[in-house]
Amino acid sequence: MALLAQALYSGLLVAASYALVALGLGLVFGTMRVINLAHGELILLAAYLACLGEATLGIPPLLSIPLSVFAIAALSLGIYALVDRIRGDREVSSLLLTFACAVILTNGILMIWRGDVRSTGDGWLTAPLVFGDSLFSMRGEVLFCGLGALLAVAVHLWLRRTWSGRAIRAVASNRDAARLMGIHPGRVEAISFALAGALAAVAGTALYATRSITPFIGHDLTIKAFVVVVLAGIGSVGGIAVGAALIAVAETLTVSFLSPSLQPLVAMLVFLCVLLLRPAGLFGARREGTR
Amino acid sequence: MTRARIAAYAATGAVAYALVPALAAGNDFVLGLLVAALTIAGVSVAWAMLANLGGLVSFGHAAFFGLGGYASALLSMKAGCPVPAALVLGGVAAAAGGAVALPALRLRGPYFALALLAYSQVLRIAVSDLRFTGGAAGLLSIPRLPAWGRLDLASRLGTYLLAATLVLLATAAYDAVHRSTYGLALRAMHDSELATRAVGVASTRLKAAMLLASAFVTGVMGALNAHVIGFLEPPYAFSGDWTLLPIVGAILGGYRTLWGPALGALVMFLADQLLFKALLPYGHQLVLGVLLGAVILVAPEGVASLVPRGPRRRGRHAVA
Repeated sequence: MALLAQALYSGLLVAASYALVALGLGLVFGTMRVINLAHGELILLAAYLACLGEATLGIPPLLSIPLSVFAIAALSLGIYALVDRIRGDREVSSLLLTFACAVILTNGILMIWRGDVRSTGDGWLTAPLVFGDSLFSMRGEVLFCGLGALLAVAVHLWLRRTWSGRAIRAVASNRDAARLMGIHPGRVEAISFALAGALAAVAGTALYATRSITPFIGHDLTIKAFVVVVLAGIGSVGGIAVGAALIAVAETLTVSFLSPSLQPLVAMLVFLCVLLLRPAGLFGARREGTR
Repeated sequence: MTRARIAAYAATGAVAYALVPALAAGNDFVLGLLVAALTIAGVSVAWAMLANLGGLVSFGHAAFFGLGGYASALLSMKAGCPVPAALVLGGVAAAAGGAVALPALRLRGPYFALALLAYSQVLRIAVSDLRFTGGAAGLLSIPRLPAWGRLDLASRLGTYLLAATLVLLATAAYDAVHRSTYGLALRAMHDSELATRAVGVASTRLKAAMLLASAFVTGVMGALNAHVIGFLEPPYAFSGDWTLLPIVGAILGGYRTLWGPALGALVMFLADQLLFKALLPYGHQLVLGVLLGAVILVAPEGVASLVPRGPRRRGRHAVA
């Protein structure tokens, strides 16, 4: 019973990090139907920036967020500028183009920071935090779980309540009609990319604060984010939270009760099942994936 | 056959079977590098065949490459299957793996690409967990290629000749499919799948056939690689490089052309190994990323399309 409770609790904390990772990808995917395959690498770069700040300037990871938000958002805008230049079939070309960006970022990180495994040395963030007498976690995990939930709610409210948020949803549902209503689709798309970059910066800092990083995990982050987005269906912040929770809890249960080596298999199998059985996702309204 | 086509085959054959062996004989380093480049080139042709004729961009060819390698290695090690037969059966196993992936044909562009990517990851993890595949430790001392008469295929030169032959065969098969009525139907689907279906073409069946054929060729190249390297482990056999490098090669060379994918892969791989790796010991694939991105933005039809060819260029679609 204690094992089950711990598995559910850890799953919840992991879910927050997955949701944070998936939120940015889902935003861009929802707005532009572009899967930014470099999203995981943007997150990873933010993690390395936090690492750089901590190692050379002694800035705690939390305080490096404001700086990395601007840096990663700018980089994300750069990727948007490239995607925007694609002529012809944007759906597939953008996949290859952002794949190229991912390769560039991974190898750039490898070039600068080499292949070593890094993790934070911040004692405050890694201090244990025990609830009751059996729920173990790190302070950083709980902190970023809260921050992730806060950001998800903020993005949700922003999409519902503000003019620019509504403009994003308008472009997502019908680009031409949105243009006729006086919305500049290009600007809206740029905003969604920049916001995705800012979210990636927070996700990356959370990653560095709670786990160890190597230059090779960006790819896995992108896939994990895409799995959550597909599970959630397009255009649903709540769906992303639930999708992230489902996958994270399934993973921690697998680790606790089956075998740790099967953990990476869980997300992939969930992904394939959802794609083949219910391509619109659990919460998406329309059938998106099939022809 | 038109005269230009015969000339292209003759020139390629002369370079592959006479010029390169004459220049590189005895230089095991260069021949080894060429074998690795040809392995990528073979996968590149298979990938381009699926992308051009099938209209399906795959991000999971590592799955077929790994399946082919593992099947061939296991068959020759545990079932005593002779290596040449194991090579073919490796391709068959990869095609069977492609058959399992057939439901993904229901998915549109990016979804298909990423479903195959997930598929290759599932296979990698599954193979790491299975007992009879050697698990995470992998397979050691996989049988080498045999000798045929006086030609020892396990020698560098012999392996090179076999690899070159396989790539040429893959290209010729691609050409044959492309010029057949099936190829015509597939190309018509590229313009409008709906219209093609309306005139009675079983488009999904044709695409399925392309997926299986592409998986088969990729599996054979994976099998060849396994017997050349003599060792397999899941992260290597299903490495993302087996997806990345063929895609970059095919896109650089022009994936809608016949010779582009193989040529692009050869040039890209040799430049990466000889030049970029020497200049940038860490992260040399950065250059490949830049090249891939640049080609997609500037010349989506491949680098060769940048060379002006006069008025004839207009209207030349795909493989002329």
